[in-house]
Amino acid sequence: MTGLFVELKKGRHKKLWLVPLIFLIVLFLWSAYTHQNADAEDLAAGYTNMFYQVPLMNTMLMPVLLSVLASRLCDMEIKGQTLKLLYTLQQKGSFYDLKFVHECFYLLLFTIGECLLFPLSGKLYHFTEPLSLPLLLRHGVVLFLAGTVILILQHILSLLCQNQIAPLFIGLAGAFLGLFSMFFPPALTRVLPWSYFGAFLPYGMEYDPATRIMSFYELPFPIGLFIGYAVFGIVFYLVCRSIFLKKEV
Amino acid sequence: MKNIIETRALTKQYKNQRVVSELDLAVPEGCIYGFLGPNGAGKSTTMKMILGLVKPTGGQIRVLGQNADAKNRIALLRSTGSLIESPAFYGHLTGRENLSLIADLKQTGKKEVDEVLRTVRLTDAQHKKASQYSLGMKQRLGFAAALLGHPKLLLLDEPTNGLDPAGIQEMRELIRRLCEQYGITVFVSSHLLSEIDQMANHVGIINHGVLIFQDRLSALHEHSRARMLLHTTDDETALRILKQAALPCACAHGRLYLNTGKEADILRAGTLLFSNGLGILSLAEEQRSLEDIFLELTGRSVM
Repeated sequence: MTGLFVELKKGRHKKLWLVPLIFLIVLFLWSAYTHQNADAEDLAAGYTNMFYQVPLMNTMLMPVLLSVLASRLCDMEIKGQTLKLLYTLQQKGSFYDLKFVHECFYLLLFTIGECLLFPLSGKLYHFTEPLSLPLLLRHGVVLFLAGTVILILQHILSLLCQNQIAPLFIGLAGAFLGLFSMFFPPALTRVLPWSYFGAFLPYGMEYDPATRIMSFYELPFPIGLFIGYAVFGIVFYLVCRSIFLKKEV
Repeated sequence: MKNIIETRALTKQYKNQRVVSELDLAVPEGCIYGFLGPNGAGKSTTMKMILGLVKPTGGQIRVLGQNADAKNRIALLRSTGSLIESPAFYGHLTGRENLSLIADLKQTGKKEVDEVLRTVRLTDAQHKKASQYSLGMKQRLGFAAALLGHPKLLLLDEPTNGLDPAGIQEMRELIRRLCEQYGITVFVSSHLLSEIDQMANHVGIINHGVLIFQDRLSALHEHSRARMLLHTTDDETALRILKQAALPCACAHGRLYLNTGKEADILRAGTLLFSNGLGILSLAEEQRSLEDIFLELTGRSVM
């Protein structure tokens, strides 16, 4: 516990909570923009619309948010050249794990914030559709899992790179790749970790260009894909961790 | 005297390059051990291996009487303090907050933070952000962090690097004081011979990863005893005659030296040369500096 307490203390004066907050504000503004001219029909499918569109927004926002978060937390160690001191006081593996937990804490804050955005939007824009709590929970779990896997990548990159430009660039590139992956064949989409923010959508969408009507249909939860992605996340974490442990300071 | 650090055949190899080779260090408890060597000689790598930051390719390390391995490394290092290459600190935190973090990791009380701040004279600047500290203050902050937990052993890698003369003097005094007052063993590396000469009482010299000298500093000083520069009417013949008489002599850079300061040897050499028909044109005492000895040992110049 001492290690975790120390890790959290390192974030003092850094205003790290601002990172998820800024991204939540962006999401809120986007939500306000999309609902400003909503008619009765839109309000009747208010949450359905959000459950479909927020994951797509996450595909663009999350890689950037996570790269900024990991970079801010890891750069203090790189800039301060603290690793050679810390490794004499705690195990390398412990440092790696606790730093990751610290980053996950802010991911969790964002996840909770985003989940709260659903009832908040419903209240503000008077959605007439009832909010499905199981779907909201599913949205939160999927967001946290997909975010954690991307965070594993950003975490190792930020710790290995002396200059944080490279991890930030990869975060940005991941956002674009994730977005464009929606137009890729499904097999190719599955090998891109950034595409998973939109891989567990509860609804599909059909758009009829003739009538210009958008209709949603329910999608079953791909439990196999979810478990496979979670297992991949664990293996990926262990591989990255062993790479980090081999690096001498 | 018990050794606080002992290494046996300590070796580090990166691909085809052997950075540290078969190092047998013996650092007696309670001393200031100067680890001297030119830049790139393997000093930092050796210290990092002792601290477990770099994995040795071969050999053994004993710290505080115990074999250091991955399992007991952290427990052993709790009784040590280190300052490797440059001070480690979080620039966005104040000096006090930085020390408080280290104190938590070393599981020492907050009172000790005040104590080490006083020791390194940073009490007045403790609430200033570490990024706003001068280089000397950052170095002192790193030193304070090393002092937390009442260590028995301090490993300092070039602690005076980048400091101004006043800072160097202050750091030197601090190291000596810690050793004298608290009995802390200090293992300090430097590429400056004068630095080690003014601070250490034991010295190890490393060059190209090989330990080429290790003893008390006084033993190194013994090497600097006087020799006589001799100029005769025929130096070449004189050298042959003196060698035949088993007198310690040598010819270096075209000059004849009598490697002794003993009056009896000098008198005997003079008599021998005179009886062989050689005239002495000049005879002068030449004191070898530690720099000369270092140069002789390493074949590289030092500042």
